[in-house]
Amino acid sequence: MDLRVPSGWFFTLVGLILLGMGLFAPHMGAAPLTTENVNLYSGACMLVFGLFLLLMAWRAAHPGKGSNP
Amino acid sequence: MKLAPVDYVILALYFAFVLGIGWRLRKRISSSGDFLMSGRSVPVWITSLAFIAANLGAVELIGMAASGAKYGIMTAHFYWLGAIPAMLFMGIFMMPFYYGSKARSVPEYLKMRFDEKTRAFNAFSFAIMTIFSSGISMYALGLLLHLVLGWSFDVSVLASAAIVLAYTFLGGLTSAIYNEVLQFLLIVMGFAPLAILSVNKAGGWQGMVSRLADRPNMFHAWRYLGSPTENPMGVEIFGMVAGLGFVLSFGYWCTNFLVVQRAMAADSMSAARRTPLIGTLPKMFLPFIVIMPGIAALVLSKMHLGYDFPLKATGGPDYDQALTTLMAQFYPAGLLGVGMTGLMASFMSGMAGNVTAFNTVFTYDIYQSYIRPGAPDRHYLTVGRVTTVVGVLLSIAAAYVATRYNNIMDLLQLVFGCVNAPLFATFLLGMFWKRTTAHGAFSGLTLGTLAAVLTLSSTTAEGKGGWIANLYTFPSQMAQNFWIAIIAFTTCLVISIAVSMFTTPRTDKDMEGLVYGLTKVPHDATAKWYQRPAPLTVIVVILLFILNIWFR
Repeated sequence: MDLRVPSGWFFTLVGLILLGMGLFAPHMGAAPLTTENVNLYSGACMLVFGLFLLLMAWRAAHPGKGSNP
Repeated sequence: MKLAPVDYVILALYFAFVLGIGWRLRKRISSSGDFLMSGRSVPVWITSLAFIAANLGAVELIGMAASGAKYGIMTAHFYWLGAIPAMLFMGIFMMPFYYGSKARSVPEYLKMRFDEKTRAFNAFSFAIMTIFSSGISMYALGLLLHLVLGWSFDVSVLASAAIVLAYTFLGGLTSAIYNEVLQFLLIVMGFAPLAILSVNKAGGWQGMVSRLADRPNMFHAWRYLGSPTENPMGVEIFGMVAGLGFVLSFGYWCTNFLVVQRAMAADSMSAARRTPLIGTLPKMFLPFIVIMPGIAALVLSKMHLGYDFPLKATGGPDYDQALTTLMAQFYPAGLLGVGMTGLMASFMSGMAGNVTAFNTVFTYDIYQSYIRPGAPDRHYLTVGRVTTVVGVLLSIAAAYVATRYNNIMDLLQLVFGCVNAPLFATFLLGMFWKRTTAHGAFSGLTLGTLAAVLTLSSTTAEGKGGWIANLYTFPSQMAQNFWIAIIAFTTCLVISIAVSMFTTPRTDKDMEGLVYGLTKVPHDATAKWYQRPAPLTVIVVILLFILNIWFR
């Protein structure tokens, strides 16, 4: 089992959840000390990280077929 | 603090992945070696992250933020003075003997190099230590979830213990290691935003320095080490460098089977040596995530923003709550779920690390050696599995012992002071001085440990210790821990050398592969530059100097 696959999926899913929260419910459960859309930024980072892991895993499983999944 | 439904979704998603990894890996287990040693087949990037993740338990996460608020940036010495140099030493000098000797555990190496009694001593003391570490981690988490979320102490502890048990039981060490990496990534992802948000809010580094202008010693790692009265830790430079930097850290990172086991699971000697070396790179920057929020919490509490530093029921600051109270201030529903999941993940990686080390040492070094040798491998696989269950149950019991101490980090250091500090002297002599004899090692190790216990019993710090007498009062528990380590190490070293001089050493032929000078250390001349230990070490050392000078 390539660990990058489950890790990649996990962060992709969590990233999507946070991104959704940030986009559609930016004021839900807002934090007292910050006005930033924290969910949006962190969600985007996690999504990118998750997709990056999946891409790396895909490249390792398909050598020599170009770099796009 | 209250969690929203989305937070529970994230928590559940995480548990599903953790258990899923364990479930997928269960087919890889066909022998005790697969279960207890991962069949020595794990890729190097995974062992490297697991190497540091096994140490990044709930105790470290909560304790480092607590120490950040209590002692300031001096806390980073646990990393920049302690862990990193020790990990480099381990990868460059010690790993060839561990991996090359084909020993299955640290106690087994002691058996090969010295004799049965030295192994037995280490196996038993290590088994006790892992159970306590795991119990302390469990206590920390249960208490925190109870305080912060109002969850029942027993339920949160038992539920997370059950999940750890499930995935380690299914997939053994591989499952623990794979999950540790997922946990590590989650901890970084879940807590990095907190560090960024809290430090920013507190005005950045310069803003924090100016807002705590009356306590400049919180922002210097080295400048106030001249005398114990000048710095909040109550330690002077010798105690810090010799006690923490040398004895405690080298003792922990170089001889503790919990971390050594991760490197030994690597798929080759070269990968095993690179495991701690690569691990230093993320490890070096962890203080920014785990210590900085603690300092920021202290600053924020003085800024009249509506955030008060958490207090204990009895009054006085409750440092252990610094991290979670900050999360409540900065994390909205969603990310709060990620942060809480990260906290539970840290608990699980700490506990799984201890349990998987415990079951290996118990199965190979206690059960197979003294209770039932010569059984078929299937039998030891079963024993390994049963021991996993027993280890979890014993940890739960140990969790209640931990309730008597307030700063859990200090207690952990106390335990390591008694077990790991003298052990490092034994390994140093055993690996690098072939004249060291088994009787020398054993007498040094036992008397070194005894010296640690005696020092603890005859001195006090912050009202603790001194059960036999009170010959000396240390300015802080940290200082006491560091000095116990120094005394235990020195005792072990001196006694081992003295006894070795009067006893007969083994022949050179018997010690091939076990001692420096009688072992061929591999030279990876054909490997790419970044796969060789030397260039990797140079890069780490340069970065380490920059960090130490920057925060001097």
